[in-house]
Amino acid sequence: MSNVLKIKKGVEQGVNEFLKFLLESEKVKGIFALRKMNENGAVSYSLITHPEELKNAVPFAPLMPVNAGKILSGFTLEKAINEPIAAVLRPCELRAFIELIKRTQGNLDNYLLISSTCGGVYPLKSLTNGRFKEQVSQYWESVKNAEIASDVRPTCAACEYFIPQQADIIIATVGKKDLEKECSIFLNTKKGEEFAKGATGNIVTEEIETKDTSNLRQKREEQKKEDFDKLSKDGFGIKALVKIFAACLSCHGCSKACPICYCTLCDFDSKTHEYSPSSHEIEIEQKGGVRIPPGTLFFHTGRMIHMAVSCVSCGMCSDVCPVNIPVSTIFSKVGNSLQKLFDYLPGKDIEEPVPFGTYKEEEFTEIGEE
Amino acid sequence: MNEKIGVYVCECGPNISDRIEIDRVIEKISSVEGVKVVKKFGLLCSNDGKKYLADEIKKEELTHLVVAACSPREHEQTFMNVCLEAGLNPYLFQLINIREQCAWMISDKEEATRMAIKYILAGISRVTLHRPLLKKELDIISDVLVIGGGISGIEASLSLAGKNRKVYLVEKKESIGGMVKNFSALLPYQGSNLAVIEEKIKQVQNNENIEVLTSSEVEDVLGFLGNFEAVIKSNGDGSVKKEIKIGAVVVATGFSLFNLKDTPQYGYGKIENVLDALEFEKMSASGKILLKNGKPPKSVALIHCVGREEKGYCSKVCCLYSIKFALHLQDKLPVVDVTEFYSDLCLPEKADQDYFEEAKKKGIRFIRADEFEVKDKAGKISVEYKVAGGKKDSIAVDMAILAPAIVPSEDTSKLAEILNLPLDETGFFKEVHEMLDPISTPIEGVYVAGCALGPKNIPESIIQSQAASGKILSSLIPGKKIEPEVKVSEIKEEFCTGCQMCLSVCFYGAISFDEHKGISVVNEAICRGCGSCVGSCPSGAIRSKHFTYPQLYREVLQALR
Amino acid sequence: MSTQTESHKNHTKGVIISAKEGINKAILDIFKKSLEKKCFDAILIPVRVPDTESYAWVLLKDQSLLDEANPLPPVMSVQGAKALSSLTKHGEMTQNIAAILRPCEIRAAVELFKLKQIHLDNISLISIDCPGAMPLSDYVTDPEKYKKRFKNVLDKWGEDDSVRPVCHICNRFSLPSLLPQKSAKTSPAKQDEPNLAIPDLHIGLLGGNKEKIFLIPVNLKGRKILEKLEFKPDDSLNLWENKVNEVQDKKEKRRNEFNQELRKKIEGQEKFTAVFDECLNCHNCMRVCPICYCQQCFFDSASLNLSPETYLSRAEKKGALRFPLDTLLFHLGRMSHMVLSCVSCGACEDACPMSIPVAQIFSLVADQTQKAFDYTPGINKKEPLPLQAFLEDEFLEVETPSEATTPIEVN
Repeated sequence: MSNVLKIKKGVEQGVNEFLKFLLESEKVKGIFALRKMNENGAVSYSLITHPEELKNAVPFAPLMPVNAGKILSGFTLEKAINEPIAAVLRPCELRAFIELIKRTQGNLDNYLLISSTCGGVYPLKSLTNGRFKEQVSQYWESVKNAEIASDVRPTCAACEYFIPQQADIIIATVGKKDLEKECSIFLNTKKGEEFAKGATGNIVTEEIETKDTSNLRQKREEQKKEDFDKLSKDGFGIKALVKIFAACLSCHGCSKACPICYCTLCDFDSKTHEYSPSSHEIEIEQKGGVRIPPGTLFFHTGRMIHMAVSCVSCGMCSDVCPVNIPVSTIFSKVGNSLQKLFDYLPGKDIEEPVPFGTYKEEEFTEIGEE
Repeated sequence: MNEKIGVYVCECGPNISDRIEIDRVIEKISSVEGVKVVKKFGLLCSNDGKKYLADEIKKEELTHLVVAACSPREHEQTFMNVCLEAGLNPYLFQLINIREQCAWMISDKEEATRMAIKYILAGISRVTLHRPLLKKELDIISDVLVIGGGISGIEASLSLAGKNRKVYLVEKKESIGGMVKNFSALLPYQGSNLAVIEEKIKQVQNNENIEVLTSSEVEDVLGFLGNFEAVIKSNGDGSVKKEIKIGAVVVATGFSLFNLKDTPQYGYGKIENVLDALEFEKMSASGKILLKNGKPPKSVALIHCVGREEKGYCSKVCCLYSIKFALHLQDKLPVVDVTEFYSDLCLPEKADQDYFEEAKKKGIRFIRADEFEVKDKAGKISVEYKVAGGKKDSIAVDMAILAPAIVPSEDTSKLAEILNLPLDETGFFKEVHEMLDPISTPIEGVYVAGCALGPKNIPESIIQSQAASGKILSSLIPGKKIEPEVKVSEIKEEFCTGCQMCLSVCFYGAISFDEHKGISVVNEAICRGCGSCVGSCPSGAIRSKHFTYPQLYREVLQALR
Repeated sequence: MSTQTESHKNHTKGVIISAKEGINKAILDIFKKSLEKKCFDAILIPVRVPDTESYAWVLLKDQSLLDEANPLPPVMSVQGAKALSSLTKHGEMTQNIAAILRPCEIRAAVELFKLKQIHLDNISLISIDCPGAMPLSDYVTDPEKYKKRFKNVLDKWGEDDSVRPVCHICNRFSLPSLLPQKSAKTSPAKQDEPNLAIPDLHIGLLGGNKEKIFLIPVNLKGRKILEKLEFKPDDSLNLWENKVNEVQDKKEKRRNEFNQELRKKIEGQEKFTAVFDECLNCHNCMRVCPICYCQQCFFDSASLNLSPETYLSRAEKKGALRFPLDTLLFHLGRMSHMVLSCVSCGACEDACPMSIPVAQIFSLVADQTQKAFDYTPGINKKEPLPLQAFLEDEFLEVETPSEATTPIEVN
């Protein structure tokens, strides 16, 4: 049970007023949220410091141009941000930020983390399909009815972690049939309660988990199983992966968009993975032919080894892929298996160390024994 | 962070304190994060001031020092020495110029104070990112390689050997002496005769410090000031190779003569008794001035400036030696009519005007002309010309002596590549600055002297050789180490992709390409820290050690706040 | 008619080859023969990945792999020059290989050669008339549809606008535009030098009506290859030449008109900024660009990291600060680094997840800046990159202050 600030305004307007309150009362020096860029619906994350600019803020636009966790990490690489900032981001973005902080790639101090029960986002290509406005109105209907919105990112349709327990403040949307009239702002932590003091609205107590959220979770779990099974219907070994990644251009866009991939120079972009002509010549002697550039699969499997254990299934990788490879589903599938093995949920608990960084003597002993 | 920055504002006598409200500056700076102490002092560069600073550094346990005073050109080194003595790395220091760039420029005290504060804040932002760079010391070799055994090379060798430096004198031909050895006489007014050069050659041969390698050429030179390695190949076919270690190089490869085949209108090589100046020198040295038919010439034409237009410069010495030839002809031949054709007269030295007058008095004709055609007319040489101002005319003579332009010697471009030296548009070696640094090259430790740099007479060649020797003697002292530049560039290996953009813009040849690793590498001993390479790298893989992006960016950002 | 006709008058002779069973088969048969006759030890050519509609570059020795090869696939997957660079960045091939590339890929390879990212010894470069490629995102969404459409593209050379926009306006699609102009820095005799003329061999498709293809030797090396294949380059290629010229003129005109229109649409700060409103700053364009060769792009590096205070103060100055930061800085910066070598291959636009017309914009700027330096990328191995060549008398007008500027008052 938590304290909930109820505002008698529709969700979009209510949240905007709440954010305005935070900024005008100087409880925060800035609001980090999605902002409208043009009339086509394009949005960008922005740090808003002047209250008038808030009129362009659209924190619930169902788009993720970049994983916000990556941005918040970039702000605070050197040290914590020096003034309080409210950041509005989705559950997976928040989890990504926490995974990055575990790797010293960011600092949580001074952030007021605002998230929502998440209905998902649309693939970025939707902006140019000509029906985006229509899709957005359908989206809110689905959210209200705790259904999977059609045409959202596959990973969103399969996401079971849409209630961000790590946030200070959670805007409840899923299953809230009166979204246009009332706004439910869950004050999830003491910090959340502190910052909300003085905001217009009533405080009641409510449970964020409802029958509707459970229903949606179940639907999404089913979708996830379906997606994962479909992916490996022809097998999931090397041969199958060759086919799955056939169109790959080795552009590494997936890695650059991924919030967890934080290395300044990825090993797969470095000289370690450049080969002299003689290496290629040996390959063609032995096998008759070699794909150029080599290492397409090596990159993907290598990246899986490096980050899949922290994959939050945000779906950025699939969105930026120029050849429509379902990278996100693939990495989520592998990530899920790894995470189950270690009984680890990325971004759930900031105190929980990344499995690869911890040594436990009695772990996986069955692999060591004969 | 854990910085303890000490900021000291110098009153500079009244120079700064009169124009800037130092107390207000101190007040503003005191509140900056990381600043432990801000104080003012009367004259920081005085002995008292220096002692004060050193004491402060130790007392306050400063991690960084910022001094707001005069121009770095004045006292950066002074205060760096103070740091060194006080145990603080001298590169964790920044000198802010609030005198020349502030107090002396801005008359309004308000404004000057405001700018001073801005500059100091910017400098503090920067200094926190300085790295404690380490000065290096290198052992040096004081031996010298002199390339070319002409008068310049000989003079350089003798100057250096005279101060006990070991000299390797490398000469392409079988014997030293260069062009001067061919001369029948030096200019008469210069008094001396050829015995002088003979004497110098003997001195070289008798000097224990000079190792003369004739029939030898330089094949390769690698390294930097104080630490060069050269490969000398001998015996004409290069079958004998010798590796030597030297600290400096003097290039004295002299000159060649303009190829007269390129100006066929002068008839050289086609018409008998048309000679070039060098041939005439040899002829007079032999004592017999004769035509091909064995008889002495009765009339001679001396044509100056052959090839001047083609090359685009004046060769400086030909007017003088042509006058020398003319007087010599009159002296040695009973009856001879001499005409000198010139396009402009070059008489730069003190005694030259008199010399010219003397020649005129002796009946030598001087005609200003161009558009020459030298033809064979009935056994005589007809020199057709156009007088400056219009009319065409001609004279018939027995012998014509051409003064060809002085051009770089044949091996100049090969040697330039070996030593990584630039050439100018005329093909001679290019000095660092025509007026202010006329014998240095961009490669520290490599000097050029004599005609290798361009046409000049013997006294000038000797001066340049002595200058080169002087520079070498003072910079390479046996037993003393040299300190190469510390604020050099460095390349991050992982980020270098071997495109060699940096190499192509490095004026000093400080960057080389490592074939094995496929990356470019900076030789820190040669690098002068100019930063051209840093600008040329699109990736930012090459950085300056003391002018990194964060340092510059922070400084500018703070200044613009 | 263009002066390009003049420059390849030396190449009006070649080999006419029947292509009755299809262009691809005709070309692949030649490659099979070349492996048999040991003209090459291996060939770099796009090959269809089994059970998919995707193409990947394969360096192959095994002839049977040629069965699924396609010298001119409907899409450009990895830019050919980039593929070649991954092969020979770190040294020369010791075996002889042939690489078949589109004209823009050949030119990009030459630029990479100048940047020391490709070694070209032991590589025979074979270019081919290129009608353009289909937009990658369209193709991967519906490969069957766009495969069919590509057939039409080959038929109606230069007329079908379903190709990528930069392909539709491409004026360097055939051999003449790969050769240095006679009026330029090289003398006619020198154009035949093995080192200078690139490619070695060209496959002409235009004017063949899909029944014939033309093999054109461009230099000595090319002639030797044809010799080994037992071809005599004696056939007159007027058909090909005329068709090339015809299409060339149309494309030149179209390119100029298009660029003028485009310029109006994006000129000025407001319009230009608006183009990149939807840019995610994902940097895909940079990564697929063959000219972008840096191990780590400056715009990905830590150089652009700022302290939290700086981010906040910038946001305070503007009221709202967009993230990721410096989108325009990235594009303009990348432009200033590479546009003089831009070959308008269009890989960037194919890779953009937001369908921003990057290739069209960069091509427009490329045309203008390359003209200012009188530089055409990729046609002369010995011509230095403009930014590396220092000419004393260049752009003097930039050095001398104009009357319009007033000196700043300093008291």
